[in-house]
Amino acid sequence: MTETPQSQDIVYSIAASPNFRQDGICFAARGAGLSRSEDGGITWQSAYQALNVEDPLMTTSVAVSPDFEADQTVFAGIHGGVLRSVDGGRTWQLAVLPSPPPLVSTIVLSPNFARDGALLVGTFEDGVFLSDDGGGRWQQWNFGLWDMSILSMNISHDFSSDATLFVGTESGVFRSTNGGRSWREINFPADLAPVTSLALSPAYARDGTLFAGTESCGLYCSRNGGESWTQLGKGTVTGAVNALVLSSQFPVEPHVLVATASSLFISRDAGHSWSCARPELPPNRALSAVAAPQGLHATAPLLVGLVGGDTLRV
Amino acid sequence: MPKQTSRRVVFQPATYLGFQRGINQIVEVIRPTLGPLPRMVAIEPTFRARTPELLDDGGVISRRITELPDRDEDMGAMFIRHVLWRLHEDVGDGTATAAVLFQSIYNRSLRYIVAGGNAMVFRHHLEKGLQLILDRLSGMTTRLDGKRQLAHVAESISHDHELAIVLGEVLDIIGEYGQLQIRTGRRREIEREYVSGAYWGSGLLSREMITDHTRLRTQIDNAAILISDIDIEDPYHLAPVLSAVAHAGIPGLLVIAGGVSERVTALLLVNRTSGKFGTIAVKTPGGIADRPGTLEDLAILTGGRPILKATGETVKGVNLQDLGRARRVWADASGFGIVGGKGDPCALRGRIASLRSALTLAEDGSDRELLRQRIGNLMGGLATLSVGGLMQPEVEARKELAKRTCEALRGVIREGVVPGGGVSLLACRSALQSALGQCTDPDGQAAYRVLIRALEEPTRTIITNAGFDAAEVMSEINAAGGGRGFDVISERVVHMSEAGIWDAAAVQKAVVHRAITATALALTIDVLVHRKKPPQTADNP
Repeated sequence: MTETPQSQDIVYSIAASPNFRQDGICFAARGAGLSRSEDGGITWQSAYQALNVEDPLMTTSVAVSPDFEADQTVFAGIHGGVLRSVDGGRTWQLAVLPSPPPLVSTIVLSPNFARDGALLVGTFEDGVFLSDDGGGRWQQWNFGLWDMSILSMNISHDFSSDATLFVGTESGVFRSTNGGRSWREINFPADLAPVTSLALSPAYARDGTLFAGTESCGLYCSRNGGESWTQLGKGTVTGAVNALVLSSQFPVEPHVLVATASSLFISRDAGHSWSCARPELPPNRALSAVAAPQGLHATAPLLVGLVGGDTLRV
Repeated sequence: MPKQTSRRVVFQPATYLGFQRGINQIVEVIRPTLGPLPRMVAIEPTFRARTPELLDDGGVISRRITELPDRDEDMGAMFIRHVLWRLHEDVGDGTATAAVLFQSIYNRSLRYIVAGGNAMVFRHHLEKGLQLILDRLSGMTTRLDGKRQLAHVAESISHDHELAIVLGEVLDIIGEYGQLQIRTGRRREIEREYVSGAYWGSGLLSREMITDHTRLRTQIDNAAILISDIDIEDPYHLAPVLSAVAHAGIPGLLVIAGGVSERVTALLLVNRTSGKFGTIAVKTPGGIADRPGTLEDLAILTGGRPILKATGETVKGVNLQDLGRARRVWADASGFGIVGGKGDPCALRGRIASLRSALTLAEDGSDRELLRQRIGNLMGGLATLSVGGLMQPEVEARKELAKRTCEALRGVIREGVVPGGGVSLLACRSALQSALGQCTDPDGQAAYRVLIRALEEPTRTIITNAGFDAAEVMSEINAAGGGRGFDVISERVVHMSEAGIWDAAAVQKAVVHRAITATALALTIDVLVHRKKPPQTADNP
């Protein structure tokens, strides 16, 4: 059965299996729940059928294990807790986050999740929670994180060695170099915040490159771990940057994808020049999330989430 | 009866001689404590029955010497004592290094000035040399990060492996500004605990407000916060506030006030509804001087408005918009905490930035401590270290060591590290050699020569204290080349950075700065004036 989007619905985030090319599995976290697709995002079903909930269970974030093919683990963020599935999203267990019930805004898993079991959730009002046992127990760690409205979070690909991650908040960007146990504000200009999306170069440990998308001031890039920032796509990438995707081969393949409310922009040269790819949107729909499960090649499909709850494959 | 105003006045050369003897006595007491293999100094106890106090911290040792019998010598001794204690308070480490540096510069300089050198011109060149040294130290500074590296530095400061490991972790989490409380623990090992959010050491005004009788505390989620320093006597003043909070569907109210009357306490207690509405009253934190600033911090953190006694306001006119909000508030008998204040994060960011600026300008140690506490509170998080041991003197000594090491680690986080074992100072000699080569003024040349020799003194002392021949090892170090020094533990000349032997850059800079500026000042003292009756003995904490 294909789900029908509701007008007040929104797609908050999309996550796909690392083996998407073969299994076609992907998830969309929506105001109306969590949708699951097994055919590469063409048709979608509710992933919460086993929960038998009467009212829609607003799901604000979703993340898939880097080892999904082996462990079939998916996490979904809801109000007050994190749902975990170890069978590819068919059945779920709830881990309640400490009171007062936080609303999860983002989930990131350690690239080495299969071994270290580390994952973090950002919340809209309560900062960051950590789990180091695969999502069973959670602890709030907000030392130095004086702005607890977490809008975006991204993790270093070398997390197991550098323990580095970043969060974007209402007022700027914070960095942790000890796996999220404490945070330091980095030099992101306050007048450019809120920071709605963040992306780290897969080679961050060596090139110190990260991108920050803002709510109203466009896209910024730092090549020194956040010490200084330059605007990219000035005059082109305008408005709220709702999602940011870097090529998994960045910087060797310097492709960057940006989703604003009305457009998708792609750069093939690390943000120096941009081309606009305006997907055909249903009337009164805006882009709210994007995923590139097969990379950013010209022919690779993109999954695009919309305000209204639709998810398109373009 | 007329006041006794007669003085004894001492002129040169007695001034220099007396002052120098006093300085040398203090420094020779501290000298054996320099380095990773220090000798101890035993201080006679205040009471006969107690055992002597065994110390290896130059700052505390100098503090224990409160008077020398010869009054000329005493003035020199108290001069260096003050310099060292201030250094101890400001950076927590480096007093022994500063003492030997100071002594070397002072004694050699004095010899030159007594032989006819111009003290004022000489002083000017000492200060120019200081700038060269500070620049050179900045150039060799390395940033450290992570608990392992911090623990490594902590061990080189404290020589206490267990303490160093814990402090490495704690400082990695709380950072430069974070709050750390050091308490006496109940167990032998060192324990640490972390508390999220902001914390003030100002507890519940009534123990009856405790709702969690296991943890002896009370907590409210999504509370409103009344921020004030007013003594609330009349329950009718607070009742409208309480009513507005309840009608707005807010689950509870934290009252921060100068005090509350019994009738107000009764009002707060009677309005509690189990699980639905909570009330907490705590005393306004801070002393008289810092209270307005603290209340302003609370207001910015929570988005409220401080209701100040000084403005003549009462709580009667307070409305919902004046109240702060937070995700969680809690309090126990000794303090209260706020987690997830609902203030404007941009305003909070601005506040933290302005307090940081004030901190860089503050000169007084207690002002700086207060500012750091305020910054730490706004940034959120408190760590508590519980230090245990077999006997109370051991526990107290370890707590003092933990405090001192923590101060030095804050400096490491702020400014990084330089190669340890005195090697960073040896590396500064080349900058002074260049300046010496270009200087034509005899006073300037003498000043640079004095500094070049003095920069070797800490390394020589470390070597001697470890039981080796300083001259022999120094020639080995000089032959080995830059960055190398003597590791007294492995008894080898090693590359200090590669061996992980570091000094806190902030400490090293402060040491050099204090030693040279204090010497420059001491060299210009020409006359000593004694009161007829000696002053009271200095306090001995």
